[in-house]
Amino acid sequence: MCNMNSKLTSKMTWLQIVLVVAFCFLAAFFCQHNDGLYQQTIYRVDRVQNGKAIKMTDEFQNVDHYHNQQLFGTITNGKYAGQKLSIKNAYSDSHAMDHQYTKGQKLFITLHTQPKLHATVKDIKRDAPIAFLFAIAISLLFVILKLRGVTVISSILINTILFWIAVKLDHNNNGAAVIWIFSVLAVIFCFVTLLLVMGWSKKMLVTLSAVLCATAATILITLIVFGLTNERGIYYESMQYVTQLPKPLFIAEVLIGVLGAVMDEATDIVASLATLKQERPELSRMAIFKSGRQIGKSIMGPLINVLFFIFMAETLAMTLLYLKNGNTWHYSFSMNMSLGMTSSLISGIGIVLTVILSSAFAGLWIKGDER
Amino acid sequence: MGAITALGIVLLVLMIIVGGKQGITSFLSLVVNFGILFFTIVLIAFHLPPIIVTIVASVILLSITIFWSSASDNASTTAFQASVIVLILIVVIIIPIEYWAQVGGFGLEDSEELEGLSTYVGIDFTKIAIATAILSSLGAVAEAAIAIASGLDEIITQHQAIKSEQLFLDGTVIGKQIIGTAVNTLFFGFFGSSLALFIWFYGLNYSFGDILNDKVFAAELIAIVVSLIGVVTTIPVTTWLMSFKLKRLHKAQLKH
Repeated sequence: MCNMNSKLTSKMTWLQIVLVVAFCFLAAFFCQHNDGLYQQTIYRVDRVQNGKAIKMTDEFQNVDHYHNQQLFGTITNGKYAGQKLSIKNAYSDSHAMDHQYTKGQKLFITLHTQPKLHATVKDIKRDAPIAFLFAIAISLLFVILKLRGVTVISSILINTILFWIAVKLDHNNNGAAVIWIFSVLAVIFCFVTLLLVMGWSKKMLVTLSAVLCATAATILITLIVFGLTNERGIYYESMQYVTQLPKPLFIAEVLIGVLGAVMDEATDIVASLATLKQERPELSRMAIFKSGRQIGKSIMGPLINVLFFIFMAETLAMTLLYLKNGNTWHYSFSMNMSLGMTSSLISGIGIVLTVILSSAFAGLWIKGDER
Repeated sequence: MGAITALGIVLLVLMIIVGGKQGITSFLSLVVNFGILFFTIVLIAFHLPPIIVTIVASVILLSITIFWSSASDNASTTAFQASVIVLILIVVIIIPIEYWAQVGGFGLEDSEELEGLSTYVGIDFTKIAIATAILSSLGAVAEAAIAIASGLDEIITQHQAIKSEQLFLDGTVIGKQIIGTAVNTLFFGFFGSSLALFIWFYGLNYSFGDILNDKVFAAELIAIVVSLIGVVTTIPVTTWLMSFKLKRLHKAQLKH
C-alpha cells in the first residue's frame, strides 16, 4: 500500500515536472513571437559579421577591446515588416553600455527613412527571458505551496497595482506629498497583506497595530537622528533615478522597503504568542512579552540580513566602476553604498522595534480562554 | 558624528536591549557581512574572476549569517547545507538567464551619473549582474533555511521517534506558513529600492512594454524573482535534508 502510494506520488511529480517545463517554454515561446503587440519596430538578427578587435586603454590604465559588427536581419513588425536591413553595431568587452548581438536575437530599432531606409539599434528585447523566469517562479509556487500559491500571487498582484496607483498620485502632485502618499499606501499595504495572510481576526488587528506603530516609530527615530547629525555622511546627490526632491523620496523608499520584513516578523511573533497563550492561559502579560522577545531575538538577525543584501547588492556595479576610475575606497563607498547602508540600518531599527511592540501588544491584548 | 554611525549606534543599543548577547552577535554579523561584501568588490576590481569570487564569498556570507544566528547546532548545520545547495541551484539558473537577457552594465537612465566616468574598464558587466543577483538572494535564502530547519529541529527534539516521512510533511506545512510572508519581505524590499525608478518611468510615460524590456528594471526584476525561486526551493531542500539525516540517525540507532 505504502509502496503504491509512493509510486503514485512519483508519477504525479513527473507529470508536474513535464507540465512546468512545458509551461515555461510556452511562456518564453509566446514572448519570442509577440512582435505584433509592440508599437516599436523590432528587428530579428539573421546573420552577424564580426570585425577585428581594437585594443584600447583609458586614462586609468584599464584595458578593454572594442569590436565592430555588421548585423544582417529582417524587420518583423509594423509597416516595414519583412524588409531586410543591415545595421552596424560596436561593443566592448565590458558591455557596460553596449551589447554584443548574436544570431536569432530580437532588437528594438529606430528607423530613419531619410535619405534611404536605415536604422540604429535602441535596445535588446528582454521579455522572453523574464517571462521564462516568471513561469519558473509561478509554477514552483504552485507545485510546492499548492492552493496557498494563489494567495501569495494575488497578494503580490494587488500590492503591485496599489503601488502603481500611489506612483501615479505622487507624480500628479509633483512629488510634493511623497511621504504622506506612501504612508497612506503603507497602511493599505499592511491591511491588505495581513488580511490575506491571517484573515480577519483579533490576531490580525494586533499584528497590524504593531507593524504600523513600529514603522512610524522607525521613521520618527530616523528623522531625529538625521536632525541631530545634520545628515552628515548622507549623500542624497548619489541617489539614482531621482526626478523629485531626494530626501522625502529616500524616506518613502525606506518606509516601503522595510514594511515586508516588519510584517513577516510581526506575523511570526503574534501567531506564536497566540498559540502559546491558548495552550497555557495562566501565563502573565510579562511572561508573554518575554517569550515574544525570545522569539524575536532569534529572527531579527537573519531578517535584517535579508534587506541588507537586497539594498547593498544593487550598488555593486556602480561601486566597481568608481573603483576602476581611480577613486579611493572611501569615496566609492560614500557615493554608492552609503545610502544602501543607511537604508539597511534604518530597516534594522524597524525590525528590532517590531520585536518589542508586537510582543507588548500581544501580551496586552491577546487573551487565552482564561477566566 | 556622521548619520550612519549614529544610526548604527541606535541599532546596536536596541539590539542589545532586545537580544542581549545575541543582539551583539547579530549586529556583528551585519558588520562582518558588509566587510566581506566590500572586499568582494575590491577583489573583482583587481580582475579576479567575478563569478567565482562571488560564489566563494556567498558561501562565507551564508555561513556567517546562519552560524551566528541563535539556531541550534543541528538546525544551523542543516540550514547551511541546504542554503549552499540552493545557492548552486540559483547560480545554475541565473547564468543562462543573464546572458539571455543581457542586463549587465548600465541603462540609459544611468547616463547622468556616468558622466565623466570611463565605462571601458575591461570587466564584463554581465558577470557583475550575475554576481549582483546571487548576492541579493543570499539573505532571503538564509532566513528561510534557518526558519524551516529550526522548526523541524524543534519537532525532532520533542518527539524523537517521529518518522522521516512525517517530518517531511511537517516541513512542508512549516514552509507554507513561512513562504507567504517571506515573499512579502522580498517584494516590498524590491518596491522600496526601485521606487525612484518607478516614478521615473511614470513621469516619462514609459509603456508596459518599455518597462518590461528596460535594462535597469529587468535587472532588478530578475534579481528579485531569482531570490523568490531560491526561497521557494529552500523549503523542499531543507526538509529533505532534515528527514534524510533523521533516517540515517534511526538506522544508526537500529544497529546498536
